[in-house]
Amino acid sequence: MFKELDPILHSQLRLAVMSLLISVKEAEFTFLKEKTNATAGNLSVQINKLKDAGYIEVIKQFSNNYPQTICKVSPAGVNAFEIYVKALQSYMHPNGNGQ
Amino acid sequence: MEQESFSPQQSIDLIQSMIQKTKNAAADSSVFFLLWGWVVFAACVLQYFLKNVLHYEHHYYAWLLIIVGIAGSAYFGSKHDKEAIVKTYISESVEHLWLGIGITFFALAFIFAKIGYEHCFSFYIILYAIGCFVTGRLIKFKPLIWGGIGAWVLAVVSAYLDYDTNILLTAASILISYIIPGYLLRRQYKKQTI
Repeated sequence: MFKELDPILHSQLRLAVMSLLISVKEAEFTFLKEKTNATAGNLSVQINKLKDAGYIEVIKQFSNNYPQTICKVSPAGVNAFEIYVKALQSYMHPNGNGQ
Repeated sequence: MEQESFSPQQSIDLIQSMIQKTKNAAADSSVFFLLWGWVVFAACVLQYFLKNVLHYEHHYYAWLLIIVGIAGSAYFGSKHDKEAIVKTYISESVEHLWLGIGITFFALAFIFAKIGYEHCFSFYIILYAIGCFVTGRLIKFKPLIWGGIGAWVLAVVSAYLDYDTNILLTAASILISYIIPGYLLRRQYKKQTI
């Protein structure tokens, strides 16, 4: 039986952002934009969707008079990511138990 | 990046490629190795010169040069924090390690003031060894690992030598554990960013 894939994570850009954030403590918007090659507008929309789902925390602040957006994955986001990866494994190994 | 549906295999590939991109994402920290490396090297050479050439009584004043290191660390540390667009768990661990080592240096100054400075350099060198070896392992940078191992060897050797020779041995240990790996780290970072 295939597990349902979380629709919030099963989107290329949102998954890319989550995969980047899962490996670091926190990252600035510019880092995510550089690594995903996404446009600022699209990235901003997808970050807001992840934030609304409670998967990431977004901190807006000023550094040297420039606005700075810092993103970090939340415990709920880590949990959702783990469930998503396990579900993917069940697709990749349909005869196994997803381990 | 398109938003169309994609297969589980593409999902796995995407996750792997993004995680790969966060490796070596930390900012260049070679400036701290070079700053402290040259400050300590200069202090050692100056102290040796004051003590053995000029026979100046207060030769240890040479170590006032560490004020330059502290001021430089504060300046570059603040600049580094402002410029960093990503914070990794590894870079944070390295920061904690050096903070702990810095506090140990400070504590040792009081301990040696009480028990005497005769073998103080053995302890300083062994602290360089720990810091460089662990940092090298964390950031997977071999010159720092080898520099740390070299400093451990020199720390043991220093226990068998006199104070004056140990001043020069400390200069040698800082050269192999901070200065040379510092320049190599800077070169590697520049290559990555080209």
